[in-house]
Amino acid sequence: MNQQPICRAWELWKNPILLRYCRSRLRPTAVFVSCLLTVMVTGFLFQMIRVVSGQKANFSAIDIERTALLPLLFVQGLILFILGTAQASGGMTAERDEGVIDYQRLLPMTPAAKVLGYLFGLPIREYLMFFCSMPFTLWCLWKGEVPSHTWLSLYGVMASTTLLYHLTGLLTGTIVKNRRWAFLTSIGLIFALYTVIPQAAKFGLVFFKYLTITPVVEESMRYLMPGTAGSAWETGRRLLSDAKFFNLDFSEAVFTYFSQSCLIITFFVMLCRRWKDAEAHLLGKVWAVGFYTWVQVLLLGNALPLIDSGKLFPTQQFSRFAYLLKGKAWEPASWEALSMILVYGIISLLLLWVLSSIVTPSFGTQINGWRRAHKRNRTSIPILADESNSTGFVFLMALIGGVGWFGFAHVIVESRWFPGQSAPLGLAGHFILAMVTCAMLHQLLLEAKGGRAVFLGFIFVLVLPLMIASILFGASEKFLAIATWIAGISPLCLPALTAAHHLGIANLPLNLSRAVPGAHLFWQTVHGLMVLFLITNLWETRRQTRKQASTIGIGTGSRSKGDSAV
Amino acid sequence: MNEPPIAIDLRDLRVDYEHFTAVHDLTLRVPAGQVFGLVGPNGAGKTSTFRVLASLMQPTYGEVILSGVDVLEDKETARRLIGYMPDLAPVPRDLKCGEFLRFYARAYGLGNARQCSARADECLEEVALTDCKNHWCHKLSRGQTQRLVLAKTMLHAPKVLILDEPASGLDPLARRELRATLRKLASQGATIFISSHILTELAEMCTSLCVMSRGKLLASGTVEEVRTQLGDDSRSITVVPLHAMGQVPEWLRLCNGVADVRVVQGALELDFLGDDEAQAALLEEMIQRGLRIRNFTEKRSSYEEILIGVAERSRLS
Repeated sequence: MNQQPICRAWELWKNPILLRYCRSRLRPTAVFVSCLLTVMVTGFLFQMIRVVSGQKANFSAIDIERTALLPLLFVQGLILFILGTAQASGGMTAERDEGVIDYQRLLPMTPAAKVLGYLFGLPIREYLMFFCSMPFTLWCLWKGEVPSHTWLSLYGVMASTTLLYHLTGLLTGTIVKNRRWAFLTSIGLIFALYTVIPQAAKFGLVFFKYLTITPVVEESMRYLMPGTAGSAWETGRRLLSDAKFFNLDFSEAVFTYFSQSCLIITFFVMLCRRWKDAEAHLLGKVWAVGFYTWVQVLLLGNALPLIDSGKLFPTQQFSRFAYLLKGKAWEPASWEALSMILVYGIISLLLLWVLSSIVTPSFGTQINGWRRAHKRNRTSIPILADESNSTGFVFLMALIGGVGWFGFAHVIVESRWFPGQSAPLGLAGHFILAMVTCAMLHQLLLEAKGGRAVFLGFIFVLVLPLMIASILFGASEKFLAIATWIAGISPLCLPALTAAHHLGIANLPLNLSRAVPGAHLFWQTVHGLMVLFLITNLWETRRQTRKQASTIGIGTGSRSKGDSAV
Repeated sequence: MNEPPIAIDLRDLRVDYEHFTAVHDLTLRVPAGQVFGLVGPNGAGKTSTFRVLASLMQPTYGEVILSGVDVLEDKETARRLIGYMPDLAPVPRDLKCGEFLRFYARAYGLGNARQCSARADECLEEVALTDCKNHWCHKLSRGQTQRLVLAKTMLHAPKVLILDEPASGLDPLARRELRATLRKLASQGATIFISSHILTELAEMCTSLCVMSRGKLLASGTVEEVRTQLGDDSRSITVVPLHAMGQVPEWLRLCNGVADVRVVQGALELDFLGDDEAQAALLEEMIQRGLRIRNFTEKRSSYEEILIGVAERSRLS
């Protein structure tokens, strides 16, 4: 038998899945229509903008060419990021929906080759449409005298961002079972990951900005706009943050590759795991811990170097104008620092919950693991197996998250902006305790009671108290204390209470400052007790699972007549 | 004489869903070159067994060995040996029949574009779909779709074909063609593992078969052996004598294997539990006792009745 692989992962030109989509998605009629539309739209924009800027705005020859670049880039982004991602997600779901995905699973190809086949095959027509728009862009880049390093970094990052978005689409298409939901989830996830979450950059989490093409476009903008506007933009941009990672300086493009590669590799690993075994967890436990640590390092590495210069604080850029107008020097407000600390804690916690959901086995997975272990006369499930419980790993991630969060808070509070304030290392325990409590509540509930209990908990314990508290906060200052106590029910509020209670910079209104310590201590204790209760509950559940696995039909003794046959 | 090698070897296979055991410690060995049927009512565990065999699903535990290759350990090698045709035989909406087969021919590494195309044409001809080469896959009729997927399944000449209800939706003519195709494949050395919930259908196609219900294997062997193992040896015999039957009914009631004797409108009806040999001996004895037999009929339970009985018993247990 020929044991050679059909095609190695990197041999894209031989990849049967890619070639299959070249056949089905590049049929002459469809390609002709798509390319014609692309050429029409980009050609129209190209010519119209050049004519208008030449005739009406009296731009120089170079500026005329540059003016058309941004709209053309927008159209290219639309083609690759929106149409391409929708195709990657929808095509993958269609494969599963039609049932033909099983045929592909059976192909003697490596999971990586299959993922790459889909990644480049499903949006193949969109790639062609993109290339149809390129002649106009190339003309503008050439005649607009845009330096080669600028457009190389711009298109390089566009390529890596495209990969990231398409992988996100493939992933949602693979994991979401319902076709309609897959499409909505894909759009939702992409909107959240690449539009909403990058807004956290404004609150100090600069790393998230690099998941998009924005920083590189901003860096290249001086060459993508007419001369005067480009120079003004560049002057403004220089006042803003640079791409820094601890003490290292990078160009925006390099740092974007650096940040995106982490996510690209993780998504690729997730897809490969699913192609290898359709029921496998998206991530292994060690990978999840590594990924979480990596994100924490990136968040801190990006944020900490910008504290002393003040570039981390969102109000700095607005206050520049105030300074110019009023001559009043800018300095960050304590509420701003506190908000940034809160955002860091909450985002760390949310990411931790996502990873905890990925690595925590369901009841069915666990009991099957125990059955397998019993059959092989083992007394335990291998610790890194998907069937093994994830409590230890989530605890470890919570410790890392707590340390990262406290590190961020510590550096902000003890920065030159808040003289006299301190966040001694002794406080770290409170931050870590809050993070561990929230993380364990989620993990223990998920493992002991399942996803439905977590969903109900999310609605009634996590969100509802916050909604009620928000209404009370808005209604009257008289209700601030009671609102704080109600908000404390939600574990999501625990990081806020911890930071507000223990950091001197909080500078809360009187009635709030009275309520916060009590609410924090009370709810920290309640949530801690809940964790203890869930631990005992989970202990019992695990004992019963083991017992159930060892008693129901294990072994070959319960076979019926004719059980062994030739 | 050398025994044929074992093509499919399942040992203690168990498949669990969250609160439901689909396959319960199944052990099964199928020699190479057989057309082996797996029959059972809906929910018997046929599809789960097939999906594990095809390396599409991880069992709770157990061993699955196909032609000496451990499916759970070495999926990639095993997948070259397997041709799997799922229930309902899905096809893509965006490919034509010829393209569909050429894609898989390429994916299984069957040579360059020309060789792949030739093999695709060969398989289309095998299932009598040459005329449909340029038709869209999803526009074929149900029977044609089944045949197309069968062609795709045998494209890389797999050693083991796993066909999940391949005859469902086929008209009698297409079934006959399917039987002929399967026999031809088996004669070329392929082992065919085929499932159905219609025992008659499998009885016509298979060299041997097994019956599953609620995840357990109830019987296996040739059709006759399965009938015996399922405890359905009973046959109803009607004897119409030429004249009065005298003491024969009383004598019959004392005979071994005779369960019940009734005299209905001058005919003798008896339920007999025994094999063909015993039945021949009983008739001979009747004649020796002076009974002149004008007419003799034998009626046995149909395969469907047997399967319904199995399903009923299984449900009650």
